[in-house]
Amino acid sequence: MKADDDLRQSRDQDVPAEVQTTVADDDIDDSQYVSGLPGILGVVDVAVARIEAVLLATGVLLMALNTMANVVGRYALGQSIFFTEELNQALIILITFAGISYAARHGRHIRMSAIFDALKPTLRKPLMILISVVTAAAMFLLTWYSIEYVSTQASRGRLLPALQIPVWWIIIWAPVGFFLTGVQYALTAVKNLIDKDIWLSTSTMEGYDNTGEEEV
Amino acid sequence: MSLMIFGTMIFLLLLGFPMMIPLIAGSLIGFVALFGGFGQLDTMVQQILGGIRPASLIAVPMFIFAADIMTRGQSANRLIDLVMAFVGHLKGGLAVSTATACTLFGAVSGSTQATVVAVGGPLRPRMLKAGYKDSFVLALIVNASDIAFLIPPSIGMIIYGVVSGTSISELFIAGIGPGLLILVMFSIYSYIYAHRHNVPTEPKSTWGERGEAVQRALWPLGFPVIIVGGIYGGIFSPTEAAAACVLYALILEMIMFREMTVKQLYATAKSTGLITAVVFILVGAGAAFSYVISFAQIPQEVLGAIGIDQMGQYGILFTISIAFFVGCMFVDPIVVILILVPIFAPVVNSAGLDPVLVGTIITLQVAIGSATPPFGCDIFTAIAVFKRPYAEVIRGTPPFIVMLLSVAVALIFFPQIALFLRDLAFAK
Repeated sequence: MKADDDLRQSRDQDVPAEVQTTVADDDIDDSQYVSGLPGILGVVDVAVARIEAVLLATGVLLMALNTMANVVGRYALGQSIFFTEELNQALIILITFAGISYAARHGRHIRMSAIFDALKPTLRKPLMILISVVTAAAMFLLTWYSIEYVSTQASRGRLLPALQIPVWWIIIWAPVGFFLTGVQYALTAVKNLIDKDIWLSTSTMEGYDNTGEEEV
Repeated sequence: MSLMIFGTMIFLLLLGFPMMIPLIAGSLIGFVALFGGFGQLDTMVQQILGGIRPASLIAVPMFIFAADIMTRGQSANRLIDLVMAFVGHLKGGLAVSTATACTLFGAVSGSTQATVVAVGGPLRPRMLKAGYKDSFVLALIVNASDIAFLIPPSIGMIIYGVVSGTSISELFIAGIGPGLLILVMFSIYSYIYAHRHNVPTEPKSTWGERGEAVQRALWPLGFPVIIVGGIYGGIFSPTEAAAACVLYALILEMIMFREMTVKQLYATAKSTGLITAVVFILVGAGAAFSYVISFAQIPQEVLGAIGIDQMGQYGILFTISIAFFVGCMFVDPIVVILILVPIFAPVVNSAGLDPVLVGTIITLQVAIGSATPPFGCDIFTAIAVFKRPYAEVIRGTPPFIVMLLSVAVALIFFPQIALFLRDLAFAK
């Protein structure tokens, strides 16, 4: 049991529900993240996790700044920012694709786990491996075709009208995000094969956060 | 083909795959079958990217961010104190306060899950101490939290608006009427319940205490002023209102109260980013799915098979209601909206139904379905938050579901419940 689970356990036990807050539960402490990978791969994995977290947070902060500045500009100064919409498009793509692999890493993707949770552990484990393998395969397939899509866009050399940067700069995150998510699910399958416990992601063992579904 | 697509999707969903996979699998089957192989899959990627790009979707992360900044502080408790100061002393006052606090909190945060925790967390122990049965308390919290879905800001409404091309501003305003109607019904039921079970009342607050509670709750109440006032007054688009809420929350928590540090702001931004990504990959995959099924004319096929053309407007609205209600009993609301809205889109257009009314009905059904067994997702939130077994959480729900369904039926026959405020605000 590592990282996320330690945190969750120390927070949950014997603390009455009324003094816990949901938002604190959502926070993931990246300095506590321990990679499930050995040696140099582990170092790379931790570094990637850090980068994902930084991209997520700065992406949201920049988007907030950009959108707020546009509103203030429009109402206080009577002038909109001409690139707000394009910058937000770039940021939402960045956030989405940095976030899907970050969510895969911490087992935070929304799933309907009611039936899964009701199964016996001897069935849950092979099912978890199946889920991880199929999900990884789908992610790698999308990686391949998004590389194709991005390179087509790059070869056309189109520029974003306001920002005047190549379109492919803002969509390059799609193949990267799909690939890293695929890697996470593939590793989850491996982790479940070699470890006796059932793992929802490389760093999250099942059983400590049974919300099953996260709602927004 | 439609049978294969939907069969695979339901199978994958029930097995517990991450919800993006059924959507991606459904679109994959569609693309491969339609275009005879893998040749057009870069179009699928294009659709995924196109799905997350609409400018109005930026309102989703902004509202999540604003609520996340605001609700880390004391706002939920302040709202609870405000409501308690005014209605706490009535018969069933604690229960009425719970429902009202859920509604008010829903005006700050669009999340039912956050509402269950922030309002249900502090109020459940007090209700149990006062003599309410836990099955009633749990059911009240779960179902009243669903009012948050209808009260703006509502993430579900934003996504419905983008998918169906409906005005999000109008949807927001239309959600208020049904939301308040549900609150009134729950309050009446709570009053009757307290009478029948002879639950003692709470001490009455003095006007001095009330004044203080109002003062303390003023800041979080700025949210509904910005959102509803801004949209009602035609000043803000939903995205602008969301940005104004972020600005407001930042000024309050970082400058005025100094409750939030830069480090916490960073952590809040990261958590917002994570939730956003998890939702947006679904929205993207949903867009690809929607593209391929409309290309293959699957909506017409499905709607034709259930004979929707002979149904008339009421029949169509009932069919839509049932489809969304049943869908949300099993799957996350956002996924249901992403899958079913494009299917019903052709008939909503051809029957000349008001898309804002349809959106409000759908949002209500989604809220009801999320609190309905077997797998309504709010039930599982309550299980996780309150650490009570499944059977206990659902035991008290039937009366609430009956009340909610009666509001749903009323909404179909008296659309003015939703459209009155909309028509007033947008001069229709």
